[in-house]
Amino acid sequence: MFSVLSYGRLVARAVLGGLSQTDPRAGGGGGGGGGDYGLVTAGCGFGKDFRKGLLKKGACYGDDACFVARHRSADVLGVADGVGGWRDYGVDPSQFSGTLMRTCERLVKEGRFVPSNPIGILTTSYCELLQNKVPLLGKYISHVKMTLQNTTHQSESINFRFRNIKLYHLGVLKYKRRKASGCIIGALLTLPPPCPCYSPDAADSTSFDVQLGDIILTATDGLFDNMPDYMILQELKKLKNSNYESIQQTARSIAEQAHELAYDPNYMSPFAQFACDNGLNVRGGKPDDITVLLSIVAEYTD
Amino acid sequence: MNSHRTVESNSRTSPLNAEVVQYAKEVVDFSSHYGSENSMSYTMWNLAGVPNVFPSSGDFTQTAVFRTYGTWWDQCPSAPVPFKRTPANFQSQDYVELAFEQQVYPTAVHVLETYHPGAVIRILACSANPYSPGPPAEVRWETLWSEKPTKVNASQARQFKPCIKQINFPTNLIRLEINSSLLDYYTELDAVVLHGMKDKPMLSLKTSLIDMNDLDEDDYEEKDDCEIDNLNKKFSSTALREGPSNGYFDKLPYELIQLILNHLTLPDLCRLAQTCKLLNQHCCDPLQYIHLNLQPYWAKLNDTSLEFLQARCTLVQWLNLSWTGNRGFISVAGFSRFLKVCGSELVRLELSCSHFLNETCLEIISEMCPNLQDLNLSSCDKLPPQAFSHIAKLCGLKRLVLYRTKVEQTALLSILNFCSDLQHLSLGSCVMIEDYDVTASMIGAKCKKLRTLDLWRCKNITESGIAELASGCPLLEELDLGWCPTLQSSTGCFARLARQLPNLQKLFLTANRSVCDTDIEELASNCTRLRQLDILGPKLCEDMWVKIKVHLVSWMLSKKAQSDKCKFMWLSFAYIKERVYFSLFPDGDPH
Repeated sequence: MFSVLSYGRLVARAVLGGLSQTDPRAGGGGGGGGGDYGLVTAGCGFGKDFRKGLLKKGACYGDDACFVARHRSADVLGVADGVGGWRDYGVDPSQFSGTLMRTCERLVKEGRFVPSNPIGILTTSYCELLQNKVPLLGKYISHVKMTLQNTTHQSESINFRFRNIKLYHLGVLKYKRRKASGCIIGALLTLPPPCPCYSPDAADSTSFDVQLGDIILTATDGLFDNMPDYMILQELKKLKNSNYESIQQTARSIAEQAHELAYDPNYMSPFAQFACDNGLNVRGGKPDDITVLLSIVAEYTD
Repeated sequence: MNSHRTVESNSRTSPLNAEVVQYAKEVVDFSSHYGSENSMSYTMWNLAGVPNVFPSSGDFTQTAVFRTYGTWWDQCPSAPVPFKRTPANFQSQDYVELAFEQQVYPTAVHVLETYHPGAVIRILACSANPYSPGPPAEVRWETLWSEKPTKVNASQARQFKPCIKQINFPTNLIRLEINSSLLDYYTELDAVVLHGMKDKPMLSLKTSLIDMNDLDEDDYEEKDDCEIDNLNKKFSSTALREGPSNGYFDKLPYELIQLILNHLTLPDLCRLAQTCKLLNQHCCDPLQYIHLNLQPYWAKLNDTSLEFLQARCTLVQWLNLSWTGNRGFISVAGFSRFLKVCGSELVRLELSCSHFLNETCLEIISEMCPNLQDLNLSSCDKLPPQAFSHIAKLCGLKRLVLYRTKVEQTALLSILNFCSDLQHLSLGSCVMIEDYDVTASMIGAKCKKLRTLDLWRCKNITESGIAELASGCPLLEELDLGWCPTLQSSTGCFARLARQLPNLQKLFLTANRSVCDTDIEELASNCTRLRQLDILGPKLCEDMWVKIKVHLVSWMLSKKAQSDKCKFMWLSFAYIKERVYFSLFPDGDPH
C-alpha cells in the first residue's frame, strides 16, 4: 500500500451519443413534472483468492463488499475495500466490510437515514457495527457511498482519488435539466475506534447533479489500478440501454477484464505506471479484490 | 417481500372472506431488550416487519432479544424477592406488544424464533386499535393461547405455531409474554405473523361467547361449590344446633382462618368475600393485603378495581402495579386516590412499564409514601425527566431501578445526594445521563452502603469513575458494566476493581474488548465469592483464550475444593472466529 495524498482533478466527461435521447420529455420545464428518477444498478466482482473460485460470499468479493438499496426516493449504494494485510493477525477483513455494507443496506431499507446526509448512514452503520458481540476488526477501510435523490443541487463534480478509491462520473451534459442530485462521500473507517463514533472530518464529500442517462461507475481500487480510464470508457460505450441485464453484462465484462489484466505480468497497468513514475521498476497488474457497481440514472419503475 | 398479503382461503368460510397474512407493522411497547436505545442491533424494534434472519439459526444482531435469560438474574444479589400470592399460571417475565396494519379476526399467530426458541408462553389480543385517532371505546384483552414454560431441546430456528382460540372482536394489537427461565441462552425472535379474517368467520360464534380467561378458575370454584353443597346437605340431615353461625366453621380461631386464606389468590379472595358475612369479614381484613401483587391481573385492573380494593389496603406494604394501567385503564386521579389511602405503610412499590405514570404521580408517591424503600420504575420511558427529581424526597430508599428511563443527570445526582441508604441501584440504558464519571464519583461519595450497581450500556464511564466507585463502595457485590465501550483494561481499572471489591459476586464486563488475562488473575485471587462473570468479546488471539480457559477451569476446581458456596459460574465469551459459550457447572465439568 503506498501512501497517496488525496487530490482532485476535473472529470473527463464523455459524451455517449447513444444514450442521450432516453429522455422523452425534452423541452419540459426545469424543476417540476416528470416521474421519479432511479438508479438501475448491477454489480460484479472477483476476490483475489483463486482457490475460493468466483463464489461470492453474500455481497462480498474477497475482502471487498458492496450493497445497493432503495428507500422511497433515494437510491443508495456503497462499496467498501477491506485491507487484506490484517489476515496475518488472524483477522478476517471481509467480515468488517461485509457487515458494514449489510448494516448500511438495512439502514436504508428501513428508512433510518436522511437522504441529504450520506455521512449519517456511515456514522450510524459504524456505530451499529460496534454492537456486534463478535469483535469486528479492520483498519483503513476506504469507503465510497452515493445517494441519489430527487432534489436539486448545484455543484461541480470532481473525480477524486481518495486513499485507493477512485470514482468516475461519466455523464451527459447536454440537457440543462437538473432533476436529481447525488452525493459521494469517501471515508476512512477503523476498528477498534480511536473514538466511539466515526468523525465526519475524515470524510471527503462532494455533491453533483445527474441527469437521465448518466452512468455512474463505483468500484474499488482493484479496478482502477488495473484498467486505465480509456479501457473502462470503451466498455461503457457498449452499453446500449438502461435495463438491468445489459448493465449486468457490462459490469461483468469490466470486472472480468480487470481480473485478467491483474494477473498479466507484462501489462503496464495504472498501478505499474504510478510505481514507475515514482521510481520503482514495476510491471504487470495488481492482483486485488475487484468490485464493480455500475449504475444508470433511469426512469424509476417499480 | 410485502409485509401484507391477502390470500384467498377455500375453507368453510364464505368465498368472499379472504385470509389476511400480515407481519407486524410496529412494536408499540415492550418491557426490556438487550440492545441499546437508538440502535437496531438486538433491539425489540427488529420484531416488526419481515424476518431478517429466519430460517437461519444463530445469534444475529437483526433479531429481537430480551435483556435476560435463564435463572441467572434471579440468583444474583440484586434479585428482587418475589411477591407471595402470585397465581401459578402467571409466569411471564417480559412482554412485547405489536401493532399490525389491519384489524382481523385472528386465526393463527406464528412467531419466527431464530435462536433458543421456546420462550413465548402467552399470546393476547387487544380490541383497541393503536392507529385509531380517538380514545378507544372499550379496551379488552383476550388470551389467545397460553401454556406453562416448557423446555425446547433444540436451539435451532423454528416457526412457532400455537393453536389459538377464536375471539369475537377484530384485533390488530398482539401481545407476546415471555418466560425465558428454562433457556440456555438468550432467545432471539425475528418476526411475528398474524393470520386472520377481515370478517367474522361464521363458525366462531358458538365458541367465542365463553370467557376463557377464568375458565380454569371457574371450574375449580364450581367444584368447590358442589362440595360445599354436599357438606351442607350432610350436616343438615343430622341434628345439629342450628343458629346464625356458620356451622362449626366459626369455632376456628381467627388467626387460623386468616392462615388458610393466605393461600388464596386475589380473585379467589374477592369471590370468597361474597359467600357469607364471616368470610367477608376475613377477606376484607387489611392483614390479607399486606403484600398485594396486581401484576398478574394487568389486563383487567382499572380504576374501579383500585377503588374497590382501597378499603382493604390501608396496611399494604408491598404493592406491585407493574404492567398495569396502560391504554387508559388506570388514570392519574385513580392512582392518586389509591395512594392517598394506601401509601402510608408502603415499603415496596413496583411500577415497571406503567405508562399511565406522570410527574404528578411521582410527586404523590414522594408525598404519600414516606416509608418507601424499594421503587421500581424500569422501562417507564414516557416519564418526563423532571418527574425524577421527586424521588430525592424519598430518603429511606434502599432499592431504586431506573432501567431504560429518561432520568437526567441533575435529578439523579440529587437522588444520590439524599438517598444515602441506597443498596441496589439500576441505571441500565439510562441514555439521558450525560456524564457517568460524575455520577460514579457521586455514588462513591454518598452511597457507601451500595451492594449492587447496574451500569449496563452506560456510554461514557471511564477508569476514573470506576476508581471512585471501587474506593467509595467497598460493599459492592454486583457490578454490571456490560457494553461500556470506554473502559480500557490497560488503565488497570479492572485489576483495581478486583483488588478493592473483595465481596464481588457478580461482574459483567460484556463486550469489553480489552479484558486481558491479568484482569482474570486478579479476579481469581481477590474475589473469592465470584459466582457470575461475563467476559464476552475481548479480541484476544487463540492462545490467550486457551490460557484463560485453563486458568478459569483450574480456578473453578480449586474453589470447589474450598467450599460449596461456589454453586455456579456463568462465563460467556466469544472467539474471533467462532462462538463458544462456556459454562461451568458445580461438578467442575466444563462444556
